[in-house]
Amino acid sequence: MHFLIDSLLSAILLLWSFDPDLYFIIYVSLKVSLSSTLLSSILGIPAGFFIASKEFIAKRVVITTFNSLMALPTVVVGLLVYAFISRKGLLGILDLLYTQTAMVIGQVILIFPIVVSLTIAAISHVDERYRKTALTLGATPFQAGLIVFREARFAIIAVIIAAFGRVIAEIGISMMLGGNVKGYTRTMTTAMALEYDKGEFVLGVALGIVLLLISFIVNIFFNYLQGRGRA
Amino acid sequence: MLFQLTDLIKIYGGRRVLDIPELNLEKGDICALLGANGSGKTTLLEILSLLIPPTSGKLRYKDLDIAFSGKNLTTLRREIVMVQQNPVLFSTTVRKNLEFCLKIRRIAPETREKIIDESLDLVGMREFSNEAAQKLSGGETQRVAIARALVCSPKVIFFDEPTANVDVENQDVIERTMGEINDQKEISVMFTTHNVAQATKLSSRVISLFAGKVVPSTYENIFSGKIMEYEDGNKYCKINEDISFLVDTKKTGNVRLAISPLEIKLSSAQDIVPGKGIFRGRIIQLTEERGRVRATIDVGVQVYAFLPGYQAREKALYIGDNVGIQFPVDAVKIF
Repeated sequence: MHFLIDSLLSAILLLWSFDPDLYFIIYVSLKVSLSSTLLSSILGIPAGFFIASKEFIAKRVVITTFNSLMALPTVVVGLLVYAFISRKGLLGILDLLYTQTAMVIGQVILIFPIVVSLTIAAISHVDERYRKTALTLGATPFQAGLIVFREARFAIIAVIIAAFGRVIAEIGISMMLGGNVKGYTRTMTTAMALEYDKGEFVLGVALGIVLLLISFIVNIFFNYLQGRGRA
Repeated sequence: MLFQLTDLIKIYGGRRVLDIPELNLEKGDICALLGANGSGKTTLLEILSLLIPPTSGKLRYKDLDIAFSGKNLTTLRREIVMVQQNPVLFSTTVRKNLEFCLKIRRIAPETREKIIDESLDLVGMREFSNEAAQKLSGGETQRVAIARALVCSPKVIFFDEPTANVDVENQDVIERTMGEINDQKEISVMFTTHNVAQATKLSSRVISLFAGKVVPSTYENIFSGKIMEYEDGNKYCKINEDISFLVDTKKTGNVRLAISPLEIKLSSAQDIVPGKGIFRGRIIQLTEERGRVRATIDVGVQVYAFLPGYQAREKALYIGDNVGIQFPVDAVKIF
């Protein structure tokens, strides 16, 4: 037990000393995760909104497919993207393997279905009367759609936070497509796995503390926004 | 003519919820749409508000055929506003709820304030202008929804059960506002209700809906009955053990029927001998509505009759009086 307490104290000291290696790992993690969250939100939120708002053939099939893809294992995405971007792959010529771009591509594929599915749920939960009210007040169908979107805004923010939470904590894609290259593609989760392999716990615990702190800060921010919405 | 409906049918999930061969609505009217829950009132209002298309049939607005897939639908919708039963206000302030309508109509910001204040004044909600809309009570929400409809400067306003879930104070304000909208702003008004007294008090025309059909009655005397053919070849309708009367119909078996309250005659109970088509009952309510008297008579079931005011005075009717009621065969409509 004392080794855990020792590691915790050393980790706090490491964070306090502003160790550049540690903070660069945090920076890479945040950069890659925020990029993939942003990209998947730009693509997934309009897609989810479209699927939820329109009636079309096989709508249920599409929704079920996206719901199923929410459980996509990270190693499956890693393998799939690896098959395309490795030297022998179709996109091998782009030389993307073991780059931050490759990690972003993998993470976007991982969370795109999550963003789409949760957006569909968020939009579907908005009372139909909002759309009808906007239309009867003279809004165009597009403006009525914006009203529905506006009423779902806090649920949509929750979607983005859920997507960010998924990628900041994932390891399979970062390891397989990023390669855990020190000073370039090493993220918090891959660094923690490496430290575990080495039997060194100080850096691992320090990064664990940071991961929990990030999750805590994001949730405080979300609660603040929800509070403002109610006010 | 404001609206003309021809052979209008709406089917939901295989069920025919509206079936109106013909219905015309005049400009400038304040019209009540009377009917029980599930009679198709809201569906009809939503079709007239151009929010949902009918399954088949023709709808004309101001002599214009409505194509629900047409590009000018938004332009036409801007003349017709529907205030829903339990309306929703957008999750922002009261003022911004009203401003939304003016923004999408590209009204200049400097003129918006005046229009918003005028509308809020009309429903007595100006002091709530900067309140969060979703914190208002049911009655206040209904009043803001009316103000929001008014800033749209519509030609027609539809109210779906405007006083169904509000207290008496808010009910008075809403009823008065509906009258003012119609009188002063010359906006055609149609509202749905299942309150007969409210319908007759506020409107110049009452349309009754029953099971999706316009029925030629004020909906009050609607009963379930069974039609049986007697040995003399006549058909009688029995609505309970004591009440059966002659009907003229080709139908047999279980039916729904309406007895027009305008065609029910009252007479002193001692003057008549009860028999088929003549029933003895007791007056349990008398109310005055637009110069005529509405009598509620308990004959085993409650029956409503309308009498001209002078006739009620001549007969010196009082609550508790025993009376006889009778009606001609053609006062009974079977559907």
